[in-house]
Amino acid sequence: MKILYSQIKELVPGLKAQDGSEDKKVHEICDAFTLIGHMVDGFEKIKYQGKDDYLISLEIRQNRADCLSVIGIAYEVAAYFRLRVELLKVETKEAEGKIDIKVNTGETIKRIRALEITGAKNAESPAWLQELLKFHDINPINLLVDLSNYVMIYTGYPSHLLDKDKIKGTLFWSINDKFEQITTLDGSKIKLGKDEIILEDDKNILALAGIVGGNVAEIDLNSNHIIAEMAIYDRAKVRKNARDLVISTEASTRLEKDLDPNGIDYAMNMLCGLIEEYCPSAKIEKEFSYYPQPRKSPEIKLRPSSPSRFAGIEITPEQSVKILRDLRFEVEKSDERYIVTPPTDRMDVELEEDVVEEILRIYGFDKIPTDQVPTLEVVKDITPAIINLDEKIRDVLSAKSYDEVLSWPLTNKSVNEKVNYANWQMITTQNSVNDEFPDLRMSIATGLVNQLDQYRKKNVEFIDIFEIGKVFGKIDGKYAERESLGVLSCKNKKDLNGFKKVIEGTLRTAGLDSVSYKKSAKVPENANPHSCWDIVADEQNIGIIYKFRSTDPKEHIYFAEINLGKALDLIKISDVKSVFELKEKIITLDANVELLRQNPKVSSRSGGSKTPPSGVEINKDESIENYLAKIKQKIDPKHLWNIRIVDKFAIDGAMRYTVRASYLELSDQQAKKLHLETFGLS
Amino acid sequence: MEKDLITELNSDLEKVSNPDDLKRIYDKYLGKEGLIKSELKKLKGLSPEERRIKGPQIQSLQAKAQELFDKAQQDTMQKKTEKTLEEQRESLDESVPKVGHLHPITQTVRMLNRVFESMGYSVMEGPEIETDEYCFKRLNVPENHPARDMQDTIYIQEPNILLRTQASSVEARILESYKPPFKVVVPGRVYRNEKVNKSNHFIFHHYQGVVVLERTNLKDLFGTFTHLFKQMYGEDVIVRFRNKYYPEVEPGVGLDMQCFNCKGQGCALCKNIGWIEMGGAGMVHPKALEMAGIDRSKWMAFAFALGLDRWVMARYEITDIRTLLGGNLAYKTDKNENTL
Repeated sequence: MKILYSQIKELVPGLKAQDGSEDKKVHEICDAFTLIGHMVDGFEKIKYQGKDDYLISLEIRQNRADCLSVIGIAYEVAAYFRLRVELLKVETKEAEGKIDIKVNTGETIKRIRALEITGAKNAESPAWLQELLKFHDINPINLLVDLSNYVMIYTGYPSHLLDKDKIKGTLFWSINDKFEQITTLDGSKIKLGKDEIILEDDKNILALAGIVGGNVAEIDLNSNHIIAEMAIYDRAKVRKNARDLVISTEASTRLEKDLDPNGIDYAMNMLCGLIEEYCPSAKIEKEFSYYPQPRKSPEIKLRPSSPSRFAGIEITPEQSVKILRDLRFEVEKSDERYIVTPPTDRMDVELEEDVVEEILRIYGFDKIPTDQVPTLEVVKDITPAIINLDEKIRDVLSAKSYDEVLSWPLTNKSVNEKVNYANWQMITTQNSVNDEFPDLRMSIATGLVNQLDQYRKKNVEFIDIFEIGKVFGKIDGKYAERESLGVLSCKNKKDLNGFKKVIEGTLRTAGLDSVSYKKSAKVPENANPHSCWDIVADEQNIGIIYKFRSTDPKEHIYFAEINLGKALDLIKISDVKSVFELKEKIITLDANVELLRQNPKVSSRSGGSKTPPSGVEINKDESIENYLAKIKQKIDPKHLWNIRIVDKFAIDGAMRYTVRASYLELSDQQAKKLHLETFGLS
Repeated sequence: MEKDLITELNSDLEKVSNPDDLKRIYDKYLGKEGLIKSELKKLKGLSPEERRIKGPQIQSLQAKAQELFDKAQQDTMQKKTEKTLEEQRESLDESVPKVGHLHPITQTVRMLNRVFESMGYSVMEGPEIETDEYCFKRLNVPENHPARDMQDTIYIQEPNILLRTQASSVEARILESYKPPFKVVVPGRVYRNEKVNKSNHFIFHHYQGVVVLERTNLKDLFGTFTHLFKQMYGEDVIVRFRNKYYPEVEPGVGLDMQCFNCKGQGCALCKNIGWIEMGGAGMVHPKALEMAGIDRSKWMAFAFALGLDRWVMARYEITDIRTLLGGNLAYKTDKNENTL
């Protein structure tokens, strides 16, 4: 909203510079605007009608349709500076005849007032009017149209003028169900849907109500028999129509907010008064009025203590009442409370909190102390564990020389298909801003691969990157999202096991101890199928680790992804204490495990003395990692220091592993007994 | 004789190259069958007078020989140690280790978290796929409300399933799920259907907070944010609190910081206003509290939302918002590479 300083002064004549410096006064007013809720986002010293003036650009509060007008702004200034507003005096305009208008729109129209005027000889606008409109970014058209726009700027109420001689038969306000297109006043052709509020006659569509006029009954320089109408609609309907048709006009901007239907009277009287003034032969012949439910202001109860309670400082009831009266609110005392009635144009004030805000913004936010940190009130910490897990993983990976990146969660189907390995369906947005990326990512790999490409293009070396973020999919028709960790490393030599150690070390530091691997159930397209494993913990699949397909033998790209929610569940149920008091020596015993295609054999030795092997059967498809995971589960955690593979070699078509188990707080005999029992050797 | 033996011993010791040589020499001179022992044995055949003269001479010879031997043994051990150390010698190479980095958004979130945690806040998170109810309705933004003009939404299933336009959706969930009192901050990614350019992105980051206590007010809110701004930008920072409309709060507050570039004089960065808008806040709207089942007569609440990307760009002198997510963000491989 733009406004001239002279326009404010015209309505608030008491607004005078104390020391004669207009410049200083204007800046003071601008500061006040910003403080009370209408931020000044532009300021320019200009000349209007040959005199020094200031053009102020304001970001009007979204719920203050009344302030999209000179009058509304003037009331704000007057309340802040405790001055009076003197509105332009207008006469009430009435006519005995009735215009033939029918309203077929149900409850979407709150009020219509229309006047039929003859002898309104059109012409070019006077220079002052043309100059003023340009300051408000409105192109001058002709006298009648320009006066209509002037009234809109002054009062906030858009009006629509129609050339009566171009109207065929009766005027109707309807919900469109037959017109497919309208040609607007500037010649644009707009394709219509089927539920716009329109103004039509017996033959033609005349306007998109509340948004833009059509060219059929357009006012031109030959017009002198006109109908002037002002209407207030259901703002949601205007907004929907304007958005659906992608139109934004001065009228729609105002009418898609809450404008007071009562204000139409002053605005219409002002418009007709100006037409009469500039077209001396003009005569109001007929009128039409539709106002099924006249608006009344609410009566709001205000506790005298409420302003102080919200502000945290003492504001006396007397100060509150004075401010409210300056804002034109009626205030009456009733028992221990005030009954506050806002003026009807203050559509935004409905509740006690709204009234409190009015008091505080005029009292001044700048009077509330800002240097008092609240006294620490201890409340329960409800931080979920996932927040701490994310933070820990970020620390560990950055300590392992990995860089964190953040990427777009939106991608496309072809990228998703290359990286997805989960059993869920892709989610597509209906209106993504970018047609190339309408789908939600199903794996963090989408962003990391993009980052990898960017780094390679820009010759960035040492690409070790990770991201923690959401991945998305649909499961059984329901939308799902998971907190996911993706890690990518690009090397110039084979280093899968180095990468594995980074991932495993990160998980172990986070508290997930029992990690194993098995061939992936679902290999993503991007992965080398020979180097792709599911990451398993406590027999649950928590992620994937794989090597990228690559045609460049010098490039080795490794990727791993962890479902952090799932990992967290396992960390939470793990009750292994990592700190203990070492009272006895640690006893280390080895076991040789032969992983046959059919049956593995296990033999044991201690201190180098071998005992005869005895066979133990495990699932033939089971990996050594899974086998060890099961072995670990058999041992009381308080007696297990660690268990690991220390050697492996092929023998007679089978794989032989030397597994070393170290036991805590046990005698030699107890440790040996446990070892033999655990590995099935006794 | 004594001189000859010592000269011979010295000569032998000079030739020692390993511990075996030493043992051989010991046996030759000081061993049970050694030259000095045999001289001692000869004393038995001498007269008392001769023994009185010869005895001390041989004992002196033995002590002298033992002394020479001990020194030679010490020298040999030292040489051996030095040889071992030489063999185990390692050198520092000149390679520079790579340093890992956290994303500037993460770093900024952490700084904010630390400040708020010191004031007793918890840190929360919530879903990015949201329902219309939690993203709008429960925050007092009914259907077709003008406030939605500010938020062009990316829908998954219009009108009910969407990508959250604000982290306040988590606030709505917290208000519903937790019993007051609580103090919570929520860092999170949000989505709006905006064209991507240097200043705007369809994905950005919010830092949301909500406080529900038996007694809290705007003075607490202002004090909290002045403290936060000072922690983040130093004691000299100038903060402004102004009235602003947000449907989720009443009264609403705009949080501004005096432009660090022009010190309030007006420049391109602050669009000649002298202030930079850093976020919005206010007392939680009574309808939002009512919808969450929180007794307004007992509890008071304030909420705030910061546009994180702006904080990060100012802090790291990033001029294009696309850098934060678009692949152009890079880190120096080693911050200390010039000091090694």
